[in-house]
Amino acid sequence: MQRLVSQKSVAWAACSVAKRSYASASRVTPSTAYTHPTGSEGASTSSTPQDITPEQRNALDAALRIDQAGEVAANYIYMGQLAVLGRDRVAGPLIQDMWDQEKKHLAVMNKLQHQHGVRPTMLWEVAKVAGFGLGAVTALMGKEAAMACTEAVETIIGEHYDDQLKELDAINTADPSVPLLKEVVKEFRDDELEHLDTAVLHHSQRAPAHAFLSTVVGAGCKVAIELCRRI
Amino acid sequence: MTALRNELLKLALPLVRTHGFTREALSRSALALPTPHPEPLRDTAVSALFGDGDDARRTLISAWLDEGRTHMREASDTSIKDALRTRLRYNEPVLNLLPEAFATLATPPGHILDPRPALKHAAAVADEACVLAGDTSVGTLWHARRASLAAIYTAAELHQLQSPHTADGFLDGLLDSESRVKNTLDDATQYAGYIISSWVGIIKSRGILL
Repeated sequence: MQRLVSQKSVAWAACSVAKRSYASASRVTPSTAYTHPTGSEGASTSSTPQDITPEQRNALDAALRIDQAGEVAANYIYMGQLAVLGRDRVAGPLIQDMWDQEKKHLAVMNKLQHQHGVRPTMLWEVAKVAGFGLGAVTALMGKEAAMACTEAVETIIGEHYDDQLKELDAINTADPSVPLLKEVVKEFRDDELEHLDTAVLHHSQRAPAHAFLSTVVGAGCKVAIELCRRI
Repeated sequence: MTALRNELLKLALPLVRTHGFTREALSRSALALPTPHPEPLRDTAVSALFGDGDDARRTLISAWLDEGRTHMREASDTSIKDALRTRLRYNEPVLNLLPEAFATLATPPGHILDPRPALKHAAAVADEACVLAGDTSVGTLWHARRASLAAIYTAAELHQLQSPHTADGFLDGLLDSESRVKNTLDDATQYAGYIISSWVGIIKSRGILL
């Protein structure tokens, strides 16, 4: 899996450099339906599917709960990293950029939570504290360690969004909110993978005990996902 | 089969006023079908559709509670106070039947008191009220808001069972206390924030790098 990921990262690095040079801040993406609503979205940003089975409803709720908790944790990880590395000439602006994107993700996730009537996780405060702690500790270990932490977290989140897309494909509903949700999840998955390749480009693989760090952080993320699914 | 069962359950709800939360209300629901059944459902049919003995009554009570939440959407003004008041209004026609109904819900076949249906009922009413009022809180605040509203609604409903005429005033009083407590807590948090900022400033000015 690690080898696949680094091959994916190299491929991403190649095409995302080109993407970055054409990217503009006002690009219309699926999530602008939530961040900059024009009023023409109709029911896709306000309704929730009523014609799905209870199991599918529970799966949708759990998925959105995990996504929201993940975005909270990611926000606080970057906050923790910035608290330590904020003055670094290279890493500082980089982490700030990635954090700004995560803030946007969280705002959209909050809107999705209210749209679909999902209970947020009770581990909200835990996610904040753990995220800040992880970000600060890895940043104290060095720039490369901070990048390695970002790489590990974004790998897990990217995989999770991918699994979620497969789950959403299995849901058959007439409601317009689900196709928009799929587009938003796809967009966020791509954003997280972009963060992953940014981290790799900035020498995350040079971090001391990179494999150990990635394994520990990855395992922690998986435990957090399972907890948020239930609590 | 499920569609018919759900339709019969919906038709049994208006009969609760006259026949109470009983198996008879369920059996007479068949008479209200669009193509009416010639006679009320037999007891075996009620057991097959809704459960034996008190299980059928529990199904009816739960359906009645669900209908109560749908009824909340008819509140005139989209505020928490109005939503909860509308829900209390919904209780009025069957107020004398409610204590026994809640007791039935709380005593499942195992004969051990089960507080869960009551908690679920209060939580569901609180959630519906928040959604109707357009509450946009997230995280811990989401849980805190709903927990406090559930407690307020439970207290107001219990008060209503004892003294229906003062229920509205009691609910208003509780909601006012809740907002006063919230304001006080917000002020206290803000003040604590000022104190902490001051200390950070003092420590920084002493030359200790932070």
